[in-house]
Order: sequence, then structure tokens, then C-alpha cells
Amino acid sequence: MRNSLLIEQPQGPEGDTVVVFRDFLGYETINAVWRDLTRLLKEQPPKKLILDFRNTNNLDSSGIALLRFVHRHCEEHQIAVHYQSVPPAVEHFIRYITPVPPRQLAQESRPFFADPISLLGKSSSDKIADTYELIHFLGTFVASCFRSLRRIHRFRWKETFYYAQLAGSDAMPIVFLLTFLIGLVMAFQAAVQLRQFGANIFVADLVSLVVTRELGPVFTAVILAGRSGSAFAAEIGTMRINEEVDALAVMGIEVIDFLVLPKVFALALVGPLLTLFADASSILGGILVGVLSLDLTVGSFLDEMYQVLTLGDVFSGVFKGFVFSVLVAIIGCLRGLQTDKGADSVGRQTTSAVVSGIFLIIFADAIFTVLFYVFDW
Amino acid sequence: MEDASLTNPAKREIIRVENLALGYGDRVILEDLNFGVHEGEIITILGGSGSGKSTLLKGLIGLLPPVEGKIFISGNEVSAPDSAGSEHSKRKIGVLFQSGALLGSYTLGENVALPLQEFDRLPQDLIDEIVRFKLELVRLGDAIDYLPAELSGGMRKRAGLARAMALDPEILFCDEPSAGLDPVTAAEMDQLLLELNRNMGITIVVITHELASIETISHRCIMVDGKDRKIIAIGSPEQLKSQSKDPRVQAFFRRQAL
Repeated sequence: MRNSLLIEQPQGPEGDTVVVFRDFLGYETINAVWRDLTRLLKEQPPKKLILDFRNTNNLDSSGIALLRFVHRHCEEHQIAVHYQSVPPAVEHFIRYITPVPPRQLAQESRPFFADPISLLGKSSSDKIADTYELIHFLGTFVASCFRSLRRIHRFRWKETFYYAQLAGSDAMPIVFLLTFLIGLVMAFQAAVQLRQFGANIFVADLVSLVVTRELGPVFTAVILAGRSGSAFAAEIGTMRINEEVDALAVMGIEVIDFLVLPKVFALALVGPLLTLFADASSILGGILVGVLSLDLTVGSFLDEMYQVLTLGDVFSGVFKGFVFSVLVAIIGCLRGLQTDKGADSVGRQTTSAVVSGIFLIIFADAIFTVLFYVFDW
Repeated sequence: MEDASLTNPAKREIIRVENLALGYGDRVILEDLNFGVHEGEIITILGGSGSGKSTLLKGLIGLLPPVEGKIFISGNEVSAPDSAGSEHSKRKIGVLFQSGALLGSYTLGENVALPLQEFDRLPQDLIDEIVRFKLELVRLGDAIDYLPAELSGGMRKRAGLARAMALDPEILFCDEPSAGLDPVTAAEMDQLLLELNRNMGITIVVITHELASIETISHRCIMVDGKDRKIIAIGSPEQLKSQSKDPRVQAFFRRQAL
């Protein structure tokens, strides 16, 4: 194999080494040159390296990259580098050969593995700031509610009903499907156990109580977080990027009144209704399992359910559904308003709206459970 | 840099900026800003990319609270947080954002009607008539029922201008009105601003780096520099071009690299 370099050592191995490139330094020839030159630098490192371009009339990015590598390597190993017989076309590229000093790069780059203590501190500080922002936003929202009560004629009912339709009636098929299946699965699991004791009828107790008090409102709110909370965050986030939110502010229009209130009111309206719908769907799933696999009749299932279920159970679930829906709407709008510049920020805030929404639903549910237990509701 | 117009008693100052510093968090972008804008004037704020032009605009329209200093509009201080002057001044200013910033789910007519519905309890028929008038003013009278997405970039900017003009503001702020427009549409936008200034006496503050626009519409220019974080020149375009010895000003007007 022909050597890609002509190596001249006029002053012997201890003196200058002149390396003459034989060809154009480009993607077609670079592999061989790279191999030969790095071998030379490794096996016979010179004190002074002279790169001769007499046979090279041009070079491309791969040639520049090679020269940058050689330049840095020689600098690290105290080898002086000189260029000779540089044609004008190559001279043009010489200024790109000196890389940005590593010290500067180190200042600009961030460490791949951050110090865990700093990471924990930063994460805690971010969470505290986020909680403060949420509380501040809730305060602003409550103030906005009172302001809207005083100016009820200006409330944006049209938008409220528009969002109620989007979040409510349009969500009914998916709410029905999911909660029906939840009721069905729960009844099946219970049936396997209860059948052994001849206590088939208690499937009605289990399904109706668990669904109305817990799973109905929680599942409805999770669906709302995924469908509506994310949509609110994306809509408001995009409006921020398009300067629409700034435009509202400079026109003197209260952003919370204009953008947030209709959405929160819409979810507050449809959340409890969807919860009732979810309860009914789940119970339907339970009835189907009871009738098909436990030899129950629709009448006996409903009779048992009426005996065990109180209005308090239903209303506690509906109340939870109301609170969860309001939380989902508020966090969705807040995340939208927190969007920075850039499309990736909309994505991040939309994801955060769903994650924070689900977290708030579970957190609030835990508080409700404790309260209901303590006060025996 | 001290602006000579601060001490010029001949014209009423509609905007006055004193020792203003603007920034984000701990990072100060511009500082020690002092200038005045006279009634009926078209003033352009110039500077390269990243020089702080948009930051200055945000400060002037109240979207960015100052780090230091004061802003007065028609004699009322608007820079203090929750100042009464701040709310009052919102009726006096209109803002044309770079993208037009029209609400995407509203038609052009509904967009222009928004500020009218917010500030005044006017009969709907009257609001409709004002909206038609404003849209005709920007030559979009036949697009009243269009959604912003159905319009070209130039049309969206003109619609944004109609909305900014809805409440007959005394001052119109425009953020790069001709950016992203072809030369003919950009020239039409310049003509529109000139017409509004001449026919309706509106004071206009324009953020731009389009040389053609600057030379066509500006009475005076304020040039800011991101590295110095200061105003580096104030004067008419001709003055800045022929008299300024600052290489940054010369490079800007001659379109040369520094």
C-alpha cells in the first residue's frame, strides 16, 4: 500500500520532520492520511513538524478536521507545527485550524454528571419556587373570580360553553369505555373470590361503593388531565409564543379573566357530571359481569346496591370530581402561562400539565380519604 | 447618552425615559437610558440582533418592569408597579407585535373588537362600525370574517395594526413591522404608518433594523448597543449617517461588518 505521506527528515530523527501530503486532503483520501500521520506522531514524535502542501491544491472539511487534530495534539505534546508551500486556496482555511481554546469550551459546557448534592438542592429549590408560583396563581385566580362576579355581564359564557363541550360531551365516549371496563374488571376479580363463599351478591356492594367514592372521580379526572389539561397548556403555551398573551396584557385585558376563568368554569361544570356518568358506566360493567357469570339478575344487583349505597357516597364522589376537575384546569392553564420561548417549551409544559395534574388528583384524593375517615363521612 | 430633546421646550414630550435600566433577573440588558419622544413624532429604535431593542420595547409598553429608573407617558409615571398611571396609559397606547399576535380562534373583526369591548360599554352596532372602519383603514375591509390563519403575513400585520388602533391610541408601538415581508409589502406597511402619523397625528415608536424603513419613516432614531448596554446615538437618520463618528453607527447605516 502506497504511503499517503512523503516523510522527509533532513536533520535526522531528532530534528525537523517534514511531512508532504501527496494528494488533495478530502473525504476520499483522508482515511489513509489520518492513519499514516497519527502513526508518525505516535511512533516517531518529532520536535518540530512541518506540514508541506506543495502537492495539495485544496482541502475540504475532513482535511481541516485532520489539521485541527494535529494542531491540538502537537500543542499538548510540545511539538512545534509549521506550514509551508501553502497554496492560496488552503491558506484561506488555515484560520479554522486553531481550535477554540479548551479552557473556553470548558466554561461553556455543562458537566455531564452533575454533583448530586447540587442537583438535589436545585431540584428542591425549583419545586419550592413552583409551589410558590402555584399558590400565587391560585390567589390571583380567586381574586379574578371575585372580579368576574362584579362584572358578570362581561363573563365569557360563549367560551365557557365551548370548552364545556370539548371537555365534557366530547369526552363521554372515552369516559364510558374506560370506566365500563374498570367496572367489568373489578367485578370479575371480586367474583373469583366471592363465588367461593357463595357471596356473589356482594359484587354489587363492592363495585358501587368503590366506584362512586373513589374510582369514578379519580378516573374521570385523570381522563380530563390527559385530554383537557394538556390541551389547555398547549393552547395557552402556543398563545404565549405567538405573543398573543402579551397582546392581551398590553390591551389591558386581564389574562386570567380572559383565558383561565372560562376553562376552569367549564371543567368545574362538566367534571361532576362526567363523574356521575363514569359511576353509571362502571356499575353497568359490574351488572354485566354479575348477570353473565354470577347468576345475578339486574334487579337483585340494583336492590343490593340501593341498600348499601347512600346519597352521601354519591355526593362525596361528585364533590371530589368537582375539586379534581378544577385542579386539572388550573394546573393546565398555569403550565401554559409558564411556557418560555420555543416549541420545545410547549411540549415540556404540556407534559408537565398532565403529570402535575395527576399528582394533584392523587394528592387531593389522599387528603379527602383522611378527612372523610376522620369525620366519618 | 443624554438626549437633547429632554430640554427642548418647543414640543410636548409624550414619552420620557429617565435613567432607565432593563433586564431579566440579575442580567441587565440596557442601562442609563435617557430620552424623550415628542408628540406626533415617528421614532425608530435601532440596533443589531441581540442589542436589546425588543427589551426596550417591552419596558416601554409595561411588559417588563424596570430594574431602575422611570418611564412617563403623557406625564404619568407608568413604570412603578401597580401605578394608577399604568392602567390609565393602557388606553393611550397601541402595540403592533412582530407576528401580529392575533387570537387564532377569533375572526379579524372579533380581534379588532376585543379592546373596544373591554374598555367601553358601547352598543354592539357601533362596535361593528368602528371595527369595519379600522379594517378599512388598513385596507382589510373585505376580510372582516377571516380567521388569522387564512391570511398572509403582511395581512396579519395590518390586522394587528387595526387592532392596535382600535381605541385611537396616542402612541403606537410597532415591533419590527416590516420584518419577514417582501419589499413591496414592507413599503406598503411603511406608507400605512406614515399615513397614520400624518392624518391622525399618532406618535409612533418603531423597533426595526430595516434600513429602507428607517430612512422612509423616521423623524429621529435611537440606536442601542448590546455590548455597551447603552444608547450610542440619537438623531435623524441623515444626522446619524453623515455626522456620527461612532464606527458602529457607520457600519449599521453602510451595511458593513465591524
